[in-house]
Amino acid sequence: MPGDPVKNLIGEDVYVSDLVIEELRAELGLNRPLLEQFLAYIQALLRFDLGYSYHLHSPVAEVLQERIGWTLLFVGVSVGLGAGLGVFLGAYAGWKPETKLSRGLSCGFILLSCTPPYFLALLFLGIFAFKLGLFPFKGFYDTLTLGSIASHLFLPVSVLALFSASRNFLILRGSVIQEKEELYALYARAKGLYEREILFRHVVKNASLPIITLLALDFGFLFSGALFIEIVFSLNGMGTLIYDAIIGKDYPVLQGAFLLIALAVLIANILADFLYAVVDPRVRRPA
Amino acid sequence: MQKESRAYKELGVQRNLGLTKESYTLKESGLQKFGKIFKTFNRGGLLLFFFFFFLALFPSLFAPYSPSERFIPYEAPSEAHLLGTNDIGNDILSELVYGTRISLMVGFASACISTVIGLSIGLLAGYFRGWTAEVLMGFTDVVLLLPKLPLIIILGAFLRPSIWILILVLGLLSWESLARIVRAKTLQLRESGYVKSAQCIGFSSFHIMCTDIIPNLVHVILPKFMLATASAMISEASLSFLGLGDPSLKSWGIMLSFAFSRGGFIRDMWWWYLPPGLCITFCVLAVALLGFGFEPKTGVAKKEVVKLQ
Repeated sequence: MPGDPVKNLIGEDVYVSDLVIEELRAELGLNRPLLEQFLAYIQALLRFDLGYSYHLHSPVAEVLQERIGWTLLFVGVSVGLGAGLGVFLGAYAGWKPETKLSRGLSCGFILLSCTPPYFLALLFLGIFAFKLGLFPFKGFYDTLTLGSIASHLFLPVSVLALFSASRNFLILRGSVIQEKEELYALYARAKGLYEREILFRHVVKNASLPIITLLALDFGFLFSGALFIEIVFSLNGMGTLIYDAIIGKDYPVLQGAFLLIALAVLIANILADFLYAVVDPRVRRPA
Repeated sequence: MQKESRAYKELGVQRNLGLTKESYTLKESGLQKFGKIFKTFNRGGLLLFFFFFFLALFPSLFAPYSPSERFIPYEAPSEAHLLGTNDIGNDILSELVYGTRISLMVGFASACISTVIGLSIGLLAGYFRGWTAEVLMGFTDVVLLLPKLPLIIILGAFLRPSIWILILVLGLLSWESLARIVRAKTLQLRESGYVKSAQCIGFSSFHIMCTDIIPNLVHVILPKFMLATASAMISEASLSFLGLGDPSLKSWGIMLSFAFSRGGFIRDMWWWYLPPGLCITFCVLAVALLGFGFEPKTGVAKKEVVKLQ
C-alpha cells in the first residue's frame, strides 16, 4: 500500500514519537489484522454505517449525501441530452449513410469516442473559459440561483453529453442500418408513409433497444467520465471527493464512494430491464 | 476499380459458381456504399498505426534529444526545441516520442491478458455447458456489472503505482465482453460437423478446442483485442492524469497530467498540453480503426452475398 494514512494525516514535516503514531493507528483500527478490519467494516455496513473520514472529520455517509446530489444532477442532465442527441443523429446517419453530413458525423463521433474525456474537458475549459471568458472556470459555491448553476454546469454538461452521444450514435447508426433492411420497413414504405415517419415511428423504435442496455451498462463509465470532468472543472461532486480521497489516502471515503457508484449502476440496470419491457411488448408477453 | 477488384477477390467462390461480372457489380453497390466509410478510414488507420509503431520501436531515430536531458525550462517552441521545454527543462518532443512505447505497451499487454482470460472462460463455458458454464457466466455477469474505471481508480489508489500493476489491473477487469462473445460463438461451433467428427474419432476436448474451435474464433477475437487495447490506452491516460500512474515512466497521460498540475495549462503553453492529448487520441483512433478493419463484413453485406448465391 503506497503511503500511510496516519503519516498523511499528521503531515510529513511534523515530528511525532512512534508511540503517538501507534496510538493513532489503534484509534483508527489500522493495527488490527486485515480480516478483523474487514469483518468490522461489513458489520458497520449492515447498520448503514460507512465509517468515518480521516480527513473531513465527519461520517462518510454524510459527506457522500452532500456530494451525490450534484453529481446526479450533472450526470442525469448529460445522459439525457447525450441520449437524445445520439439517437437523433445516429438515426439520421444510419438512414442515409451515404450523405456528406452523416459521413462527417460518423468521423466526428468516432474521433470523439477515441479521446480521453478529461482531455476534451481541458480543451473546452481552455478555449471557452480561459480564452473567450464565456463561462466561469470554477465550481458552484457562491450563489445557488438557477442562472448561476446553469452557467457553471454548461461546459461540463456539454462535454459529458458529447461523450454519451458519441457512444449512442455509433450503436444506433449500426442498428438502424440493419433494421432498415427488414421487411416491416419495406411494408411501411409500401403503405405510403413518409420517410421520416418510417424512420422515427418504426425503425428507431426497434433500433433503440440496444441503447437502453448500453445506457445502463454505460452508467458506470459515465460516472467515471463525470469524475474526470468534475476534477477538471473543479465541480463540487463525487469526482473531486474521490480525487481528494486518493491524494489524502482517505480510505473510508474511497470505499464508500465506490460502494455507492456500484449500487447506482446496479439500480440503473434494474431500471433498464423494466424500461425494456415498456418499450418492447415482446418482452412483456409470457413465453 | 481497385475496391471492386478487392471485393471481387473476396467473393472468388461466387465467381466460380458462374456469375457474370455485371450481375455482381450491380449488387455490389450497396456493399460498396456501406463499406466506404470504414474502408477509406482503414488505410489511414493502418498508416497512423505504423507511424506510432515505428516511434515506439526506434524512438532514438525520431527524438532529437534524450528524454531526460535538461535545458532551460518553460521555453516556447523554437528551432532547437520544436515543441519547447517543460517545467524541468526536458524537450517535449523527445518526451512525446519516448512516451509512445509506454502507452502502446500498456495497451497491448493488458489487452493480451484480458484476451487470454476472456478466451479461456468463454471457450470453457461454451464447450462444456452445464454447471461449468453456469458458474463461469455468472461470474462474468458480475464482472460485467462492476463499474470499471472507478474500481480501477480505487485499486490504483490502494496498490503501489507501477506500470505492471496497472497492466495487470486493466487486463484483469476488461475480459467479460470477449468471454460472452466467445461463448456464443463456441456454442454454435461445437454443433458443427467437424467438431462432432473430431469427437467421434476420439480427440481430447483440449485438442478439439485448440485445433478446431480457436482458429474459427480469430475473426471474433481480433477486433475485440484491438478495442481492448484502445480502451486500455485511454484508461492508462486517465489513471495517469489522476496521479495513479508510474511517475518514473513518462507516458502521454503522465505528461498531460504534469502539464495540468505544473502550470503548463495556466501559462497557456499549448505546445505542452496539446501534443500528448492529440497523440493519445490519434493512437487510440488508429488502433480502433484497425479493429474495425478486422471485423467481418456486417449483416447487410452478408445478406448481399447470400442473395448472390
